[in-house]
Amino acid sequence: MELELKNISVTLSKKEILKSINLRVEDGEFISLLGASGCGKSTLLKTIAGIIKQREGSILLGGKALDKVPPHKRRTVIVFQDFRLFPHMTVAENISFPLKMLGLHKDKCRERAVELLKKVKLEGFKDRHVDEISGGQKQRVVLARALAAEPVVLLLDEPFSSLDINLRKDMRELVLDLQKEYKITTILVTHDKEEALTMSDRIAFMHNGEILQYDTPENIFKNPVNTIVADYFAEGTYISGEIKGNRFISRFFNVDINRDDGKYKCLIRPSALKVNKAEDGKFQVVAKIYQGDNYLLKINKINSSLKLESILNEPLDIKEGDKVSIELDKDKLIFIPE
Amino acid sequence: MKEPSSNKLLKLFLYITVFAILAPMVIITLWAFTNQWSWPSLLPTSYSLRAIKEIFAPYGNVFPILLSSIFLSLTVALLSAIIAIMAARAVVFYDFFGKDLIDFISMAPNLVPSTVFAMGIHVAFIKMSLANTPLGVIIVNLIYTLPYTINIMKNLTESIGKDLEQQAYVLGASPWKAFLHISFPLLLPGIIASITMAYIISFSQYFVTLLIGGGKVMTFSMIMVPFIAKGDRTLGSAYALVFVLSTLIVFGLINLILKKFQKRKEKYNWN
Repeated sequence: MELELKNISVTLSKKEILKSINLRVEDGEFISLLGASGCGKSTLLKTIAGIIKQREGSILLGGKALDKVPPHKRRTVIVFQDFRLFPHMTVAENISFPLKMLGLHKDKCRERAVELLKKVKLEGFKDRHVDEISGGQKQRVVLARALAAEPVVLLLDEPFSSLDINLRKDMRELVLDLQKEYKITTILVTHDKEEALTMSDRIAFMHNGEILQYDTPENIFKNPVNTIVADYFAEGTYISGEIKGNRFISRFFNVDINRDDGKYKCLIRPSALKVNKAEDGKFQVVAKIYQGDNYLLKINKINSSLKLESILNEPLDIKEGDKVSIELDKDKLIFIPE
Repeated sequence: MKEPSSNKLLKLFLYITVFAILAPMVIITLWAFTNQWSWPSLLPTSYSLRAIKEIFAPYGNVFPILLSSIFLSLTVALLSAIIAIMAARAVVFYDFFGKDLIDFISMAPNLVPSTVFAMGIHVAFIKMSLANTPLGVIIVNLIYTLPYTINIMKNLTESIGKDLEQQAYVLGASPWKAFLHISFPLLLPGIIASITMAYIISFSQYFVTLLIGGGKVMTFSMIMVPFIAKGDRTLGSAYALVFVLSTLIVFGLINLILKKFQKRKEKYNWN
């Protein structure tokens, strides 16, 4: 079902945590709330589930206001980062819990729990105690339990951050598979930009209790509305300038660009910069940092305060102290209006 | 790593504890059957069944009083545990005006000497016509047991927290069901401890019960203490023996009932 938030404001112990949030999630869509810790993304999730009451605004689910519906009747299920498995129950009992709350007969509960365990690839674990399984397995049980509650909206609160990096990829794939299979409207809270970029249909970027931008992963990466959003995805060097008659003019370079006139900042991310060795180059390599897949080059313009970074994919014959010339990839430059 | 010496120390401590509990029990048992025990003999010089006969004598009314006393203390214990669960939740989970004061007041009966406290309450209870009634005795016993039970429940409630209940809400459990299925089973050890604690405090209460009950509400302590005070060691010991045995039986039953409850729940879930 589609979910719509209208002017949601939340104040907790006299501090304004969310400021007039508007958000629309289509039926079956997977979106991410991305932002640094403390930006209010988890609070927004709890507000949707009804655990936190909003001071103002309205939550609509399938066109109906949820504001007076208590949490247990909303069918907005949260998967928390710290699992929150019930410690006095076995794996199957944990998964059966929401089914029992739905009023299912215990035979039916058992049957459905086994079915769901199969879905999360944990057959044969039903009688294990929750203390006897690993972190990754716990995560799967938590997912199965959330699905058992037959959620209309699935809310994932940093569900992968307590897992090993190797496990995260598997879990992300599993979540996406299940989300597609059940076609559940899903909101993922994360501070991991890669997670948001790879998993979601759309990303809502949050900062200080506000949504700064809500767009597809490609758009938000390529056309950030301001420097905060831009920096979160990939940092680089900003160069101030002006666009006049479809041409960006700055102290350092000019480039043709199809934009409205006005003052702009041009962000040069490392990926937009190509470096060539040149004896008469105007730049000098000050550091070459190995990063596994590639090298990060730190480059300074000779006799200038301009500092740039570049990614070097092959271990080309460039060393620290070498003089180089640079080439800008026009399509990868990012222009942010000032 | 545990060092062997600390292990030995632990064992020594254990033996001392067992001795401190068992030795008085043995002496009480001996005294209950003693006719004459004069210095310096190690054991009683002659035995008799006088005390036992006295306790079982129909005119003594000992067992009806014992039963009503157990019933009274159980009521106090159950109420105390229930109030403590609620009070602990209120203090731990909610922020309200005067929270610290309530936290402090719940400790007050332990800070003021019980005699002083009881006198004040007596006056108040007379005004409210609660003096000389079983209800008054139950209330005054509750006031004495609550500091203990609230503290037990408060620590446990704090350590369990609210996160699991929150998870239960979003999984479709109403607040009551979330408490019943999630928090209650996790609180059970504390509930057993609270009931046991409150029971023993209430069951051994003498002065306060005497004052508020005004002799109209008879408890087992009230028939036992005069014999101890008068110096009839044989009868005093016999009553003490009944006191201990009845308490052990009650504790056994409480444990049995709550364990059965747990087992039944397990069975329900396993099938």
